[in-house]
Amino acid sequence: MTDTQWQVYEVFHQQARGEAHVHVGCVHAPDAEMALLMAKEQYARRQACVNLWVVPVSAITATKYEDDDMFERATDKSYRESWGYKTPKTTHAGSGQDGDVHL
Amino acid sequence: MNRFETAKDLPAMVRPAVVDLLFRMADDELIIGHRNSEWTGHAPILEEDIAFSSMAQDEMGHARAYYEMLHELGEADPDTLAFGRKPRQYRCASLVSLPKGDWAFSVVRQFLYDTSESVRLAALSESTFVPLAQLARKLRGEEKYHLMHGRSWVARLGSATEESRKRMQTALATCYPHALGLFEPTEADEPVAQYGIGLRERELKAQWESAVVPGLQAGGLSVADNVLPVYGGRVGRHPAALTELLDGMQLVYNIDPTAKW
Repeated sequence: MTDTQWQVYEVFHQQARGEAHVHVGCVHAPDAEMALLMAKEQYARRQACVNLWVVPVSAITATKYEDDDMFERATDKSYRESWGYKTPKTTHAGSGQDGDVHL
Repeated sequence: MNRFETAKDLPAMVRPAVVDLLFRMADDELIIGHRNSEWTGHAPILEEDIAFSSMAQDEMGHARAYYEMLHELGEADPDTLAFGRKPRQYRCASLVSLPKGDWAFSVVRQFLYDTSESVRLAALSESTFVPLAQLARKLRGEEKYHLMHGRSWVARLGSATEESRKRMQTALATCYPHALGLFEPTEADEPVAQYGIGLRERELKAQWESAVVPGLQAGGLSVADNVLPVYGGRVGRHPAALTELLDGMQLVYNIDPTAKW
């Protein structure tokens, strides 16, 4: 059977200027403009939003889950973890809020 | 020109005209909102089902805001105005009363209607009646999205396949005379214009036509010359479809109009 579905666009939502765009889900759409129209009602109608991105899923290159052992730490690398100092919460100045690094 | 800060400041000469204008706008919004909500669960794709339903809710929200303003002007409360009137007391244009038809029909209707709403709200944003100007400015954001949505669908369905083009052209031919009825002249026209409340209907219609044509052209759709408008809605003469719609919409309300929800 042929796939009659429109292509999938991943949707990224930005709650306030300067905040990171956060992946919130996906929509089916025939093109990027329609994807934005659909994304607006699916993902921005219940929460604050200042900007949306849509990305065709075909544009994403991902690692394979079968390779997820490469992310494991064979030796103690806690020295790489960032904590104990303050960094801006946002990627750009603007929110005025500082917080600990979340990664 | 004088500005009127509150409902109390409106001169008696223009008050009935403002009431008439608000009823026309409120009833248009309520009825098209109800019609479009008939697509909930039935729209062509899931994403569009949600988008179209959400827009239907927006329209009902606009209706509610206008009914509240009417209440400020001494009319009944919003629930009574929405649910407690007879068909002949409604002031909506015939365009919004028509059954939802196929998807092409609802898309074309929504596009023609939203273009009229955006033209109207732009004019009312400059209204001398301050509460109405403030409300109009507030509603324009949602309306901007509705218009983007309508234009996108018209452009795509107008040129997608032979069948979609045919359906869109048929829908347009059916809708257009009724859409012209959105601008049916009324006795409120002159007072509304003279007191700077808004524009005359014929002025709005001219703006609407210049906004509608490029949107239709983007879909390769065209309107015949000299289409005759369908009037009557603004004086309470409606297609039978409105009575059927209200019978359904008012069913629960009429079981006990005094019930507390």
